[in-house]
Amino acid sequence: MKYVDEFRNGDIARAVAAGIASITDPDRHYKIMEVCGGHTHTIYRHGIKDLLPDQVELVHGPGCPVCVLPMGRVDEGIEIAEHPEVIFTCFGDMMRVPGSKGNLLEVKAEGADIRMVYSPLDALRIARENPDREVVFYAIGFETTAPSTALTLQRAKKEGLENFSVFCNHVTIVPPVRALLDSPDLRLDAFIGPGHVSTVVGCRPYEFMSEDYGKPCVVAGFEPLDLLQSILMLMHQLDEGRCEVENQYSRIVPWEGNLQALKSMAEVFELRPYFEWRGLGFIAQSALKLSPAYADFDAELRYSTPGVRVADPKACQCGEVLKGVLKPPECKVFGTACTPERPLGALMVSSEGACAAYYNFGRKSFEKVEIGSK
Amino acid sequence: MREEESMMAGYCTLDHDGCVTCSDAGIPVRVVSVESYDALCEDTAGNRAEIAVELVAPVQTGEVLLTHGGVAIGRVAVREEDS
Repeated sequence: MKYVDEFRNGDIARAVAAGIASITDPDRHYKIMEVCGGHTHTIYRHGIKDLLPDQVELVHGPGCPVCVLPMGRVDEGIEIAEHPEVIFTCFGDMMRVPGSKGNLLEVKAEGADIRMVYSPLDALRIARENPDREVVFYAIGFETTAPSTALTLQRAKKEGLENFSVFCNHVTIVPPVRALLDSPDLRLDAFIGPGHVSTVVGCRPYEFMSEDYGKPCVVAGFEPLDLLQSILMLMHQLDEGRCEVENQYSRIVPWEGNLQALKSMAEVFELRPYFEWRGLGFIAQSALKLSPAYADFDAELRYSTPGVRVADPKACQCGEVLKGVLKPPECKVFGTACTPERPLGALMVSSEGACAAYYNFGRKSFEKVEIGSK
Repeated sequence: MREEESMMAGYCTLDHDGCVTCSDAGIPVRVVSVESYDALCEDTAGNRAEIAVELVAPVQTGEVLLTHGGVAIGRVAVREEDS
């Protein structure tokens, strides 16, 4: 089991953790943000947090696309889905994200034709098979998912399909990170960069972190040893006063990214002037919409979505958790009114959401703290 | 594709992909056969699916790709001694 030895070996993990401890300044507090929801999942699933010195705090970032989607965009998706001629297609997790008047699963139960797909190409197939219906795909995700939507639209255009459109909610990773760095709420020391997003965009887009803000960034893989090694690399940079972008995940991530995917995205999408993020508010040029060349496939134009803004439920503190100001269990409704079975906020819906990850894997350590503090 | 190889690129498989909406739930698969811009690929659990490969073309049988939402977005660098 050579890869098990390489990426999950307990002895190596303890040795790397000891390396981190050896260069940790006992009088300093280190705040390291893992931008990506997949990393949050690995950290809780494998107990990475318990291997780190108390001075090293991991802060969860905004890298879960379901979690950052504002409620208004969920409501608009539901409105499109309620058109009788529409077959509305979306990824599985999207079905349970609460809008202001329910979620897509409930609307489906009331009779709307909503179908879960694994790929936007499946939505395209449904459009081919149902020429008398309108098929809409709810596109969501960062730069990992955007190429598959771009490719699907390129194929749809080539085939001349007229009954297919996309409700585009794709977002980009750099602007929210910049917004967090500009936020007075949070003082971060370093960043664990997203792994698979970087497969597409490469490592260059993160250079502003070190150049403009003096913060180190290490692009990391998803195995426990990947995460530990990345934290060690960041601690070395902080210890030596360096701030650079480093690539721990070079077995997957090319420094320049995937140029074919970027070219495809550039043809199909353009940047929105601004987009609302749950918890972070409106961020300039942080999301994608379809380019004029693909306007015929734009569900926003086809169904004239009004762009409504809907406030989160008052009890929900997803915004503070997304900004890293609160830890999941510090939210008033965590584990009580808001659970993975009955999520109040989006962070509890997605398995990569910080609250769901903490609920499933991290509660033990929280309970330990609670008991100890009584 | 061998089970341990999934660790090269994350824990997801074609029938259990964590959170498909999450931008970082990529799935490593090995190319079984290629036909034009689609390739039949197999994950570590033996699940097979047709994957669009335009964005990483050209691909060859035996290569390990990173896929997301039915589309290959990258290559996994398998070392010579592992192939």
